[in-house]
Amino acid sequence: MNGFLVLWRKEVTSFVVSPVAYVAGVFFLVVMGFIFWFLASLLATGAIPGVSVMNLLFGSPFFWMTQLVIAPILTMRSFAEERRTGTFETLLTAPISDAAVVLAKYMAVLTIYILIWTPTVAYVYVLREFSALEAPVDLGAMAGGYIGALLIGMFYLAIGLFCSALTSNQIIAAISSFALILLLFFGGFLDVITHRPGLQTLAAILSSHEHMFEFSRGVIDTRPILFHLSGTALLLFATLRALQSRHWKT
Amino acid sequence: MIHVSHLTKRFAGHIAVNDISFDVAPREIVGFLGPNGAGKTTTMRMLTGFLPPTGGRIEIDGFDVHRDPANVRKRIGYLPENCPLYPELRVDEYLRFRAALKGVPWRRRRARIAECKERCGLKDVGSRLIGQLSKGYRQRVGLAEALVHDPDVLILDEPTIGLDPNQMRQVRTLIESLSARHTILLSTHLLSEVDAICNRVLILHEGRMIAADPTSALKRKTAHQRLALEIKGSPDLPSRLAALPGVKEVHLDPRQDGWFRGELICAHEPDLRDTLFGLALEQQWAIRELHRREPSLEDVFVALTASGATRAGVKP
Repeated sequence: MNGFLVLWRKEVTSFVVSPVAYVAGVFFLVVMGFIFWFLASLLATGAIPGVSVMNLLFGSPFFWMTQLVIAPILTMRSFAEERRTGTFETLLTAPISDAAVVLAKYMAVLTIYILIWTPTVAYVYVLREFSALEAPVDLGAMAGGYIGALLIGMFYLAIGLFCSALTSNQIIAAISSFALILLLFFGGFLDVITHRPGLQTLAAILSSHEHMFEFSRGVIDTRPILFHLSGTALLLFATLRALQSRHWKT
Repeated sequence: MIHVSHLTKRFAGHIAVNDISFDVAPREIVGFLGPNGAGKTTTMRMLTGFLPPTGGRIEIDGFDVHRDPANVRKRIGYLPENCPLYPELRVDEYLRFRAALKGVPWRRRRARIAECKERCGLKDVGSRLIGQLSKGYRQRVGLAEALVHDPDVLILDEPTIGLDPNQMRQVRTLIESLSARHTILLSTHLLSEVDAICNRVLILHEGRMIAADPTSALKRKTAHQRLALEIKGSPDLPSRLAALPGVKEVHLDPRQDGWFRGELICAHEPDLRDTLFGLALEQQWAIRELHRREPSLEDVFVALTASGATRAGVKP
């Protein structure tokens, strides 16, 4: 436990002093800022959108653009850089378990992810305070949106961490995790191209955008929660096995 | 302190380490020698528990590396090849992180780090970024890191590689001073280094242990005695010398003025200098120079690791 906290702290420090987190953060906030501006101008015209405000904040294509790339950017260094520089060896020969290493690295990127999201709370506040509408932002929908963003972030970050553990090249780590995330995301659109019932069900399970849409309406369904949590757990376990591959790889 | 028996590591295509056994006593400095690819780094990685062995056992201070890695890791300070560090951290940040990770209690941490920095000559660079340090300083940061939890055993993979001669001497002095409290196993290519600081030397070649002796004994065992000689006498002098018992090779070049200059290669025992001088007196040869060259560890190394063709005659 002690080792976990120590490594988590060091990982967060490394993020704070390196440009990657800032690049990802600025990119994300610029896009979210644009969405907010769009929303605000829409509300200012008095035109009431067909969907809820939170749907627009968490469901627009721009939002997805940030979600698909932010996890690969944040996680690409995690293990790949340690492998490249050789610090992998000092890290794994320190008195800390491999599982604690994986968890500490994961919690560190998740911390940064949450930190990057935090400023967006201001948008919600501004909408609530200064909108002429009665209650443009429902608190339940807002909580649902953030829970959805957290769940999707957890899952995607786990994918990124896993890809990073497989290679010593950050670019390969970033591109392969981006490809996996993209595959998953477009898996959710399978129902657009096929009508076979099996694939329809698969699409419903995978469909991140659909889940996000529901969450940001304030509908908390246990199925997507379970899907994202178990996916995260599976990938973290796979990451652990990737670290331990030095034990069985000949 | 370190007990290794029948250690073997097999990778897909080849055997990297082949059935080696050795012991290292407490507070001993043992040098690990061998050509590139001999299996030194692989052996060290197995000792630290980073790689699992294919066969054999390793015990560090009585703990089995494979079965009790947690206890072993606490007792080992490891400086891997090329001294990997985090360039984005400051020296103090890095040492604090590693000290905490290695379980140095919070109250003793500051004192331990100060002591390690003092010993490794890092007092003035504590707030510098590791990425901006010179190679020599980085090497010292690596050493300080290996020391920070005061481990019983230090495993150093080529600690002086890439340093300039002054830095090398400093690191060497540092390692020597560490042997008062730590057991040290270090690998190196620099034979002079082993000669200077190690009690014992293990030579690996193609995954096998081909020598494990005190440095002095090793020289006696494997190297030839070389006598440098400048002598004047009859033209058949080289053949007369070659006929002496114990002489293996004669390399003497005749010069214009009748002097011969070169060296004799003979068996390590007995000392041929007396015989030679006696012979010269008897034949009324003149001797301008006669001295015995101590075999260097390099001779030993070459003799042991060169392929069969060159093994027969060790040339200077």
